[in-house]
Amino acid sequence: MPPSQLKQLKSSLRESGVVGPQKSKKQKRQNARTGANANNRVQREAALDAIRDRFNPFEIRTISRNKFDVTTRDGGSKSGPGSFRPGVTKSLGEERRRQTLLQEMDRKNKVGGIMDRRFGENDPSMTPEERAAERFARASQKKLRKDSMFNLEEEGDEGGFQLTHQGESLSFGDGDGVRDDFEEDVDADDMSDSEMSRKRKRVLDAGELGEDELQDEEEVPGRKKSKHEVMQEVIAKSKHYKAQRQMAKEDDDDLREELDKGLPDLFDMLRSVNPPPKPEPPKDDFAAMNPERAAFLQGESQGVTEREYDQRLRQLTFDQRSKPTDRTKTEEEKIEEEAQRLKALEEERIRRMRGEEISEDEAGGVEEEVVELSEDESIPDDAKEFGLQQTTGHTTSRPVGVDDEDDFIIDDLVETRSDASLSFDEEDEDMSDSAEESGEEEDDQEDELINGLTIPGDKSGEASAMLESAQDTADGLAYTYPCPSSHEKFLHIIKDVSYENLPTVIQRIRALHHPRLHSDNKAKLGRFAVILVQHVAYMAEQPDHPPFAILENILRHVHSLAKTHPENVSLAFRAQLREIATGRPLNLRPGDLIILTGIIAIFPTSDHFHAISTPAHLCLARYLGQGPVNTLSDLSTGTYAASLALQYQIVSKRYMPEFINYVLNALCILSPEEPASPLGSFPLRIPTHSLCLNPSKSLNARKLQFWDITGAEHQSEDLKLSLITTLTSLLNTASETWSSKSAYTEVFNQAQAVLHHIFSTLKKDNNNKKILKTTVSTIQSTLSTISTNLKTAHLTRRPLFLHDHKPLAIKTAIPKFEESFNPDKHYDPNRDRAELNRLKADYKREKKGAMRELRKDANFVAREQLREKREKDAEYERKYKRLVAEVQNEEGREANAYERAKRARQGKR
Amino acid sequence: MPAITNKSVSSKKRKSTKAGGVPSSKRRAVAENESAESMVRIQQLEEQIAESRKHYNNIATLISMLGEDGQGINPNLPVAVSLCRVFSRLIAGGNLAEPDRAAENEKIVVAWLKERCREYQRILVSIMRQSDASSQITALTLAMRLLNERATHIPGDDTQAWTSGLFRSIFEAVVEARDGQTLRSEFLEKFVKPHEDVTYYTFMQLAEYAATARSTEILETLVTLLSACDSVPSADHEFESFYSKASKQNKKLLSVNSHKKRAQDAWLAVLRNNLAQPLRKTLLRIMVHHIEPWFARPEFLMDFLTDSYNVGGATSLLALSGLFYLIQEKNLDYPQFYTKLYSLLDADLLHSKHRSRFLRLLNTFLASTHLPATLVASFIKRLSRLALNAPPTAIVAIVPFMYNLFKSHPTCTYMLHRVVPDKKQKELEAEGMDDPFDPNEPNPDRTGAIESSLWEIDTLQSHYHPNVASIARIISEQFTKMSYNVEDFLDYTYQGMLQAELGLEEKPLKKIPVVEYQIPKRIFTDRLLEEDGGVDTAPGSLVRALWDFS
Repeated sequence: MPPSQLKQLKSSLRESGVVGPQKSKKQKRQNARTGANANNRVQREAALDAIRDRFNPFEIRTISRNKFDVTTRDGGSKSGPGSFRPGVTKSLGEERRRQTLLQEMDRKNKVGGIMDRRFGENDPSMTPEERAAERFARASQKKLRKDSMFNLEEEGDEGGFQLTHQGESLSFGDGDGVRDDFEEDVDADDMSDSEMSRKRKRVLDAGELGEDELQDEEEVPGRKKSKHEVMQEVIAKSKHYKAQRQMAKEDDDDLREELDKGLPDLFDMLRSVNPPPKPEPPKDDFAAMNPERAAFLQGESQGVTEREYDQRLRQLTFDQRSKPTDRTKTEEEKIEEEAQRLKALEEERIRRMRGEEISEDEAGGVEEEVVELSEDESIPDDAKEFGLQQTTGHTTSRPVGVDDEDDFIIDDLVETRSDASLSFDEEDEDMSDSAEESGEEEDDQEDELINGLTIPGDKSGEASAMLESAQDTADGLAYTYPCPSSHEKFLHIIKDVSYENLPTVIQRIRALHHPRLHSDNKAKLGRFAVILVQHVAYMAEQPDHPPFAILENILRHVHSLAKTHPENVSLAFRAQLREIATGRPLNLRPGDLIILTGIIAIFPTSDHFHAISTPAHLCLARYLGQGPVNTLSDLSTGTYAASLALQYQIVSKRYMPEFINYVLNALCILSPEEPASPLGSFPLRIPTHSLCLNPSKSLNARKLQFWDITGAEHQSEDLKLSLITTLTSLLNTASETWSSKSAYTEVFNQAQAVLHHIFSTLKKDNNNKKILKTTVSTIQSTLSTISTNLKTAHLTRRPLFLHDHKPLAIKTAIPKFEESFNPDKHYDPNRDRAELNRLKADYKREKKGAMRELRKDANFVAREQLREKREKDAEYERKYKRLVAEVQNEEGREANAYERAKRARQGKR
Repeated sequence: MPAITNKSVSSKKRKSTKAGGVPSSKRRAVAENESAESMVRIQQLEEQIAESRKHYNNIATLISMLGEDGQGINPNLPVAVSLCRVFSRLIAGGNLAEPDRAAENEKIVVAWLKERCREYQRILVSIMRQSDASSQITALTLAMRLLNERATHIPGDDTQAWTSGLFRSIFEAVVEARDGQTLRSEFLEKFVKPHEDVTYYTFMQLAEYAATARSTEILETLVTLLSACDSVPSADHEFESFYSKASKQNKKLLSVNSHKKRAQDAWLAVLRNNLAQPLRKTLLRIMVHHIEPWFARPEFLMDFLTDSYNVGGATSLLALSGLFYLIQEKNLDYPQFYTKLYSLLDADLLHSKHRSRFLRLLNTFLASTHLPATLVASFIKRLSRLALNAPPTAIVAIVPFMYNLFKSHPTCTYMLHRVVPDKKQKELEAEGMDDPFDPNEPNPDRTGAIESSLWEIDTLQSHYHPNVASIARIISEQFTKMSYNVEDFLDYTYQGMLQAELGLEEKPLKKIPVVEYQIPKRIFTDRLLEEDGGVDTAPGSLVRALWDFS
């Protein structure tokens, strides 16, 4: 059984040395001298505190038991065997409530009141001592703060405070040792009480009385000064002193500054380092300076200079920073730059061809760059150069070919103008000649002129024949055209315009609505581009077969518009493709074929994915795969489509099954004899009536014409032979294009078989040998190409080696072991869920805490109310008692009086 | 009930004609306009017959009025209707039934009446065969009504009328009728479909009818008729809706099995006829859903299916599903099934419209993991060969299918990844390599496909269509996916693919398409050719070289 509380207390007091054997006097004295007493006292306090805590079972609470022995990384702030001080926390909370909640309670239902502006009055974090110290500091600061050294008012105030005795100021002579009273007071704080009192007494005794009396005695014999005079004197004197003191102080400051300046040198000397050479004083610069500025600096007065300086500085801050200007590039550099640009573009194209994803911004950046480049500078076209032949080219006279769109317009404008050898003035005259031109249109013309003025002066020496012919008839054309908003309107505009003049019209519309001329023009030209696309298809459908030069020119216009309005042009082409796909997928019209040809020129068909090329591919492939093969015009259309398909793939070399199928099928159809057995795994589609070639002497293979696609049944045998030749050469090209494909053998074995078949059937008639020479030689060369490629393919063929991947890790079902697992942490791999859980936990904790606080608040409020009520009751009780006592007193007196009277009466009796 | 309504209508009409002869139907109106008095006369004659037996001769008069031309091309319909009424009344009154002990003259009367009735029936049938659509339908209705009366009231005639008598001639007339499209649909809608006894006897007649070789058109008609009756009764089906009341007593008509037996016989009779190819394809197409459910013993179909399977081409493809049904359900043992299946993979397969159907079945046939790897490899290789000439829609379907095969037959992955030993490496360097696969070997176990590699699919990885290319690429990536759902890849078309690319209407593009950075000098013509030194290197040079644009 543990000893009793008292015994425990005693023993612990003894152990901690609070109580112990009596110390001898000597020891005490020694302690007092060494200051160990104070130290002891502190120790004793601490020991007592500890003992108190130990004996109060409620003061410190420890966690009674631990379920498991755990060590955690994060210090065990919570989970370790910590101790709490519930009493302390409780009292702290109580205190805080008293400071906040109680105040609120008191202020409740009360209006108005006095604001306590004393410093730190409502700041519970300050101890009263701190508060007092701070207040004092503030007060003294306020006193020390002076607005000006010549502020008489303040001085006057100060003077007002000056103690006087019999009209004399109570100052103590000029000595440095003389202090103002309050100064003395300040000092006195530092001194011990006894010291201060003694000193003051002495000063007061010695100085004050003695000297004053001396002065008085001196001035008595002379005229007695009036009080006003004395006051004046005193003020003057005090001002004088003050000024002197001020001066001395300034001198001291100067001296100190000088010394401070010397300090780094001193340090350097101490470190034995040579001081860096001092910068030359700036005044020496006057010679090298702009003489004007020097004169200005020297001549002008300081104030003016400074003002000037400020002004300039301000100007400079608002000035735009000047940018470094590029120096004019040499021709070689320009060429180099252009080559770099083209190379970058080509690399970009190759990346797209490989289907590598270009990040959006990057692509955009490149695009923008291209546009910028083409807009900003007129760079000569170096396509040829990029073909690695930097030999001739770059004659400064004229950019070779056309590259960017401004160039294009200008180029053509120049061409037409120069060919017509018309100056702009002459054109103006022409215009005024034509009666229908209005003044408004003249303005437009001027606009064009303005645009025309940007044309470089050099004139092109060459121009296409087409444009020449266009110029011949140009006289009948108007110079201004409105920008059409729909294809119908465009048709209306050009209804009297011959095909040859169409490029001129288009060019004029484009020049008149150049985006630089009006902000709306960009949108207008966008629409115009769409119309041009529609018009190309429309024109190709016309029965009178407009010349291809015109179509080409329009397509090139579309291309150059596509650079500035890619979206409009793309959408227009997509609309055309959609029309083909939904309206006539298996019945391609000449217009569709022209559109599909235009796509080659305008869009990169080599892209892995492209919003226009890909559907165009599909359209072609669909026609090739499913289109009719019943007539020669069908076959011609198909052959043209096959040529287009191969052209699409000539760069990217992607494989197109439909192409091979179609070409082989067509060859089988056209061959003089139908093959007895299938020559390959391509599906054989047989026309409704035979289209076999009938070899005869008069046959002549020619180059196919585009318009063969629209029913050219005459000269059919010639056409058949030409088709065979063309298809064969297509196979030749295809064989070259796809020679690196791993299944080349499988694809072109069929082709070889088909060609052999045709070759043998053609050769059967020996007499035709000479006449069919071209065809036979084409077939022969194709066959030889194919067989060479087949040999190569045979040699390079290796078993596939596709799965040379790094082996995949086997998925394990063993849970992942967490190093230093902490159950308080959540190891949720799902970020969102973890976040959510954390938020939930936070919310729960906060809610609990808030509820606890509220509950405590309510308790507190109830307690306070009870206390108030008790107080009120007690007050009432006191009052009541007092009143009762008073009454009793009075009544007692009356009773006494009565008693007395009674006794007296009795006594009388 | 058409017969009953008809009756009530006609009775009403009789009243109305009595009242004032106001016509209520167009047909009547026309007839009346033409010959109002003849109407009155018909009326009179009919009433006289009803009044007493001595006016029976009026029947002969009416019949002669009806069949004036003897062909029934332009029948006098009111006469037909009134005759029908007369005979119905007579049959209901038992005047056509021969009493056992009847007087001689009675017998003569009955025989005479029967003769007239037969004559009337003949005329009705000939109307159905020859006349225009509305008359045909009227005749059909009248004949069916007469049939009903006969089956109900003449004892001993109930089955006979259906099996051999009137119904047979009606059926034949319906099948062979000139321009009988509406007639047949009327027959189907009004009689066959709603009335189960009519269905039953139709099957019966059809089986007998189709037993002899018929022309293709007739067979097509029969198939249409048969396939229209597609509601196969379930085992516990209760037959309730009968046309003739007498049918309820017939036990055969109440049993599901006998119904099925009739239908099966009918179908078999059709299938055994000499079928033209298109019809055979039609039949094969409806085989699983329309024909096989009728068959209590589907093995009867075996001959037809194996014959069709051996035809080759699309017919084989179509026969496959029926055959599969038999193999699966009826344990049909088909020798050399996989060899035959392998032979179906020909050049046209991937272009055929039955491609999806076939691939679905192929997926089922090759699903077993117990198949030898050599066989599966042969199929894979053959398919990949075909894929080289296939449309993108087929490639899209084939490649995931192959992936699944590789996944279930890992041995076949040698076709994708084969480590060449160093010894052989040199040999390869020197001599190159032939494809060990023999495309002409019919036996899929001996093609040597497993020694080969899928260069074809490797080539298709550079297909012009980006989506196809990326699908082809799955076989060279790690096989992490369990399997692809082949069904999702099957039904693509060019149209669908194009629509996926182009959308249905104008929409702003998400990403502005790239435009070729260089404006070509020439597209069609030889513009500025001399500047390039006469060599055309601009894009589109191939087309320009081959084609003359002028």
